[in-house]
Amino acid sequence: MTDPLITRLKHLIVDTLHLDGVTPDDIDENAPLIGSGLALDSIDALELVVKIEKEFGIKIGSSEESRQALASVASLADFIRVRAKK
Amino acid sequence: MLERFIQAIFTDDAGAESQAETRERLKGSFAPGATRRMTQLGLVVGAALNKLEPTADDTLVYASTFAESRSLESYLDSFPAASPTLFQTSIHPSGAQQALIGRQRSLGEVFSHSGVDQMPAQSLLTAMLAPAGRVLLCGGEEHGDWLVNYYSAQDRTFGYALALTREPGPAPLGRLALLPTEQPGALKQSQWFDLLHQRRALDGPIALGWRLQLSWS
Amino acid sequence: MAGPIASETVLLKACDCLTPFGGSVETLTALLSGERALQTQPVLGREGGDLVPLALLPGRALDETAPPSWLAQVRALLAPVNEAGWGTARRPVFVTSSNFGAGSLYAYRRSGDAAHMGYGALVNCVGWLRQQLGWQENVTIFSHACVSAHLGLLQASRVLQAGLADEALVFSFDFLSPFVSGGFNALKILNADFPAPYQARATGSIGLGDGAGYAVLSRTSGDFAIVAQSMYNEMHHFTANQPNGAGFEACLAPLASQAAGRRLWLKGHGTGTLDAGRMESGAFAKVFAGAPLVGWKGSLGHTLGSCGLVELALALAAIRHGRTPGTIGSAAPTFTAEVAIDAFANDRYDGVVCASNAFGGAHAALLLSHA
Repeated sequence: MTDPLITRLKHLIVDTLHLDGVTPDDIDENAPLIGSGLALDSIDALELVVKIEKEFGIKIGSSEESRQALASVASLADFIRVRAKK
Repeated sequence: MLERFIQAIFTDDAGAESQAETRERLKGSFAPGATRRMTQLGLVVGAALNKLEPTADDTLVYASTFAESRSLESYLDSFPAASPTLFQTSIHPSGAQQALIGRQRSLGEVFSHSGVDQMPAQSLLTAMLAPAGRVLLCGGEEHGDWLVNYYSAQDRTFGYALALTREPGPAPLGRLALLPTEQPGALKQSQWFDLLHQRRALDGPIALGWRLQLSWS
Repeated sequence: MAGPIASETVLLKACDCLTPFGGSVETLTALLSGERALQTQPVLGREGGDLVPLALLPGRALDETAPPSWLAQVRALLAPVNEAGWGTARRPVFVTSSNFGAGSLYAYRRSGDAAHMGYGALVNCVGWLRQQLGWQENVTIFSHACVSAHLGLLQASRVLQAGLADEALVFSFDFLSPFVSGGFNALKILNADFPAPYQARATGSIGLGDGAGYAVLSRTSGDFAIVAQSMYNEMHHFTANQPNGAGFEACLAPLASQAAGRRLWLKGHGTGTLDAGRMESGAFAKVFAGAPLVGWKGSLGHTLGSCGLVELALALAAIRHGRTPGTIGSAAPTFTAEVAIDAFANDRYDGVVCASNAFGGAHAALLLSHA
């Protein structure tokens, strides 16, 4: 069964980063988000962080924490779930 | 007298074209997906610069009066949730870096000019004094939105890139010389671009202390 | 391949800076005492936000005024050298900055007060400054993020060496605003932690500071000389360096031949980020083995486009004084053994290599020595 948070994150990634020609279904939630098939880089990651902080009301403190949170869509979903509870 | 010869020149007068139109027109000049974050200025300058095939031995001289106007406007409007992408792309000399980073083209010296009516002359002087055998002189502007109303952005988009050498070689396209003069002078970026784009000659003062001789083969 | 060395010497006739501690002498005193100018403040000024380490000039707020609040202090900084004639054909001025009037642009957009716009755009800001300081038209503007000051020094050197000027004034400034602090906060490198340059720790962070500096270059006058200058541009990524650190080495290596026979200390860029700090200190250790390395951004914050000139002025003051401030804000373990945490006597050294790095993998360095 599709995780609604993961689906929402995939749409957010495509929209925030203007990924023309990429659909949310094209994104593998367990694949590395940065540096793999989507050709995203650290600036894209930071742009996503700003969007995620605003959308979910959480805070990501440092560039190192950003890298951990955005390892994959799945890890990002887990990160949000943990932070949103606090 | 300081002198260099034009070995290659590419110009693009995008005029009032929108950012999307420029991206669609020039996307073939860049790797697939590379234009996603590029600014309009980065597109027109980068497409011209890429045709010169920069190498690590070249010196790059880049000149833009207003630089990334649309990124600047959008960055300011992104607050309080400041956009890191727009912050990054608004920093001079992003317009030249976008294409070079896209192709991983390292360079020794890069000079990044701004200014108004002395800037073309100053960028030419930088090019003339650079020791490198080949200097890539490039620049441009992109049309802004609300910044235009405060004389803080250009109202048209254009870009140029020239390859300059000390020796004429077998078939130079043109010649540039800077000579001292007592007469005052001024040349704005848009006027400089029009000279290049229209391949017009010039012999006259362009800045305090400098006269330009521009001729075409 | 790094750019060619500007190997002809140019003399430093005058050089000073402005930081929250004052001029170069006052700032050196503070650094030698281990003082830190950085204090936690809201990243967006009156609009709040995260608390981050910033160093503002005394009496200055992060939110810009119209006209900008820093003019009086810039005028005072330049007073000893700002005689008539700057900006004429034989006495060019080189103005360098990363942000220029960005604070005024931000202030306009947030307040709607159009009075800010006369100082906002880069060219309007410099045009206003030129008028205020009485400079004629021969003002060249360079902007290349945190290596901006080095561009001014290098081109001014070439203009002098070509016999096209009698003296050259290089002026560099960067004053903070939410425009720039918000940007670095969005990049997640300006956060609650204070910077610890070259310290091997789990997370990296920077501080930002107000800064301005000037140098008067001459072919005939000055007891110190800029012996060599070097530049290299990786063009690898906007915010990251080539992972092997080759870019840092490519900029420093050409200076090594000019440094032969000289005993040097090193003033690095050292903002407090981890990867760049590790690579930079590693490159210094490789090219200038055994030379002590210091960085002062742990106290002053990163003064952005002005850092090359601010820190050159401080290096010069340190040589005159005979003592080099250590790397304030940092503690062991450091990335290399050469990082000097504590101040040290520099009278047995022949000069200093001063380096700065910038977004886009831009690198610049110079060798300062007695004339």
